[in-house]
Amino acid sequence: MTSSVQTQSKSRQWVIIKVVAILLVIVTSQLPILEILLQLLGRAPVFATVFLGIFIEAVPFLLLGTLGSGFVEVFIDQERIQRLIPRNTLLGVLVGSMLGIIFPVCECGVVPLTRRLFSKGLPAAAGIAFLLAAPVVNPIAILSTAAAFGWGWMLVGRIGLSMLIAVATAMIFSVVKSPADVLLPSQWLHREAIPLPLHTPVRSLREKLRHMAVIAADEFYEMGRFLILGAALAAAMQALIPQQALLEVGRGPVTSVLVMLALAVILSICSTVDAFVVLGFVSIFSPGAILAFLIFGPMVDIKTTLMYFSVLNKRSVVYLILFPLLMSLLAGLLINLLVA
Amino acid sequence: MTLRLYRYLQGFILILTAIFLLQKILSGNLDWYIHQRFMPLTVLSVIVLLVIGVIVFRSGRSAGHHEHHDHDDEHHHKHHISRWGLVMALLPLLVGVLIPPKPLTSDAITGKGFSSAAPVASGDSVVQFGQASDERNILDWHRLFSSPDALGAVLGQSANVIGFVYHDPRLKEGQFLVSRFTVICCAADGFAIGMVVNWPESASLPADQWIKVKGVVQSIQLGDQKWPLIEATSVEPIQIPDQPYLFP
Repeated sequence: MTSSVQTQSKSRQWVIIKVVAILLVIVTSQLPILEILLQLLGRAPVFATVFLGIFIEAVPFLLLGTLGSGFVEVFIDQERIQRLIPRNTLLGVLVGSMLGIIFPVCECGVVPLTRRLFSKGLPAAAGIAFLLAAPVVNPIAILSTAAAFGWGWMLVGRIGLSMLIAVATAMIFSVVKSPADVLLPSQWLHREAIPLPLHTPVRSLREKLRHMAVIAADEFYEMGRFLILGAALAAAMQALIPQQALLEVGRGPVTSVLVMLALAVILSICSTVDAFVVLGFVSIFSPGAILAFLIFGPMVDIKTTLMYFSVLNKRSVVYLILFPLLMSLLAGLLINLLVA
Repeated sequence: MTLRLYRYLQGFILILTAIFLLQKILSGNLDWYIHQRFMPLTVLSVIVLLVIGVIVFRSGRSAGHHEHHDHDDEHHHKHHISRWGLVMALLPLLVGVLIPPKPLTSDAITGKGFSSAAPVASGDSVVQFGQASDERNILDWHRLFSSPDALGAVLGQSANVIGFVYHDPRLKEGQFLVSRFTVICCAADGFAIGMVVNWPESASLPADQWIKVKGVVQSIQLGDQKWPLIEATSVEPIQIPDQPYLFP
């Protein structure tokens, strides 16, 4: 039974691969390949500079996230997490959306940390709230936003709306019983299957720190590959697609929001510094567009999308992208309506 | 791959990454990639990468022998050997070594856009009239031009700016743009700004050549924007400055 299903799906795969290959050959034979290659080569330095720019800027924040994950694994036990999170789903989600204050991570660090917290017994919905809100609702991001925009409505709007969207999206996940239902099967570290106290002897601080470093290294590679792939994609898009066109398209109250949402994804800037970047756009784009950028960018960009797909199952990722997208769009449009 | 080899490779690449970053810091090229304010974070990263790298490398020695007792690695060793992780972590190093480092210049403008719409006017930037006009850089001039009241006052002042040569297709013969990239956070958010230069020998200037332009400031209509223009009295080639970008 299973084998026939397998062979069926295998033969279907083959058909798809063949069709794609034929299409590729047709498309490429129509293009001036040599010219394109030369052009690509000419853009290589731009690609390299932008790619390394994103990478070098992200490394400290990725390290913070992976060390945080190592710290949680080694020093925080399951009971403490379960005591921290209220049983009531809504309260749990609210607490989850504010956990970033304890774990100040940006969107590169939040994915490994969330997975770790799941394995330590954090409920699915609360974890989703943490995943979406923590990159904004944390001391570093709050301070940098305040430094860029002052302690005004932009800061309040950013924190408030990010939490609102995180909580609303997380409540959709409240139907899910266990984190196992949102994670990819391979990502679910079956913690409760192993009676921890028997297996984990009390170890010296030195041993614990060593263990923490090893976990940090593991996750640096595991998460880093998506960060690097995402940075490469973002850099390639920047080197090849004129952003000028994008900037000039979007001045209206609606298009400006759409353009800034697109920029948030393409630029893939760390949530702890994006406020400084968007500051430069204030004079060009509508306030709603700026706010939409500040809300949506930390939740979804090229590298986080890749990281989401590496940890969560497809359906969860689709929810995690679509709901924040729609709600950020709505928030941006409403702000523009109110301001106008 | 055995766990032992994996740990060795992990540690090795972490240490290589630290050396790579250190080399960027020491060569003074780090601000081709990120805003100088993030330099301390990169220094910190070098230290952390070295520490983790050495610890992981050393844990490779014990990984082979005591697999039964070494609880640390019990879980990792089935789930976490990530060959792709190792390969991808080499990518920044390869790109850094194989593609000659270069700050953003003319060829980046085609992709990233050139514009007076570039984010130059930060929200509360103070227009500095007090500044001697000779000391203003291209960004200062753009800020002055973005505020309508300032515009009248600065026309006719003398300018003395540096930048690289960009031949914009929108310009007439005998004109080019003297340009800089502005970077707020990292090269990913770099946008070009520039001033039009009237200079009879424009055509002989190679693109990307760094130059010092002296002359008198006027304005010119380019598209739907008013751009600063320099009636150049001298254009001399210079070395690439220590900091090619402007940091608003």
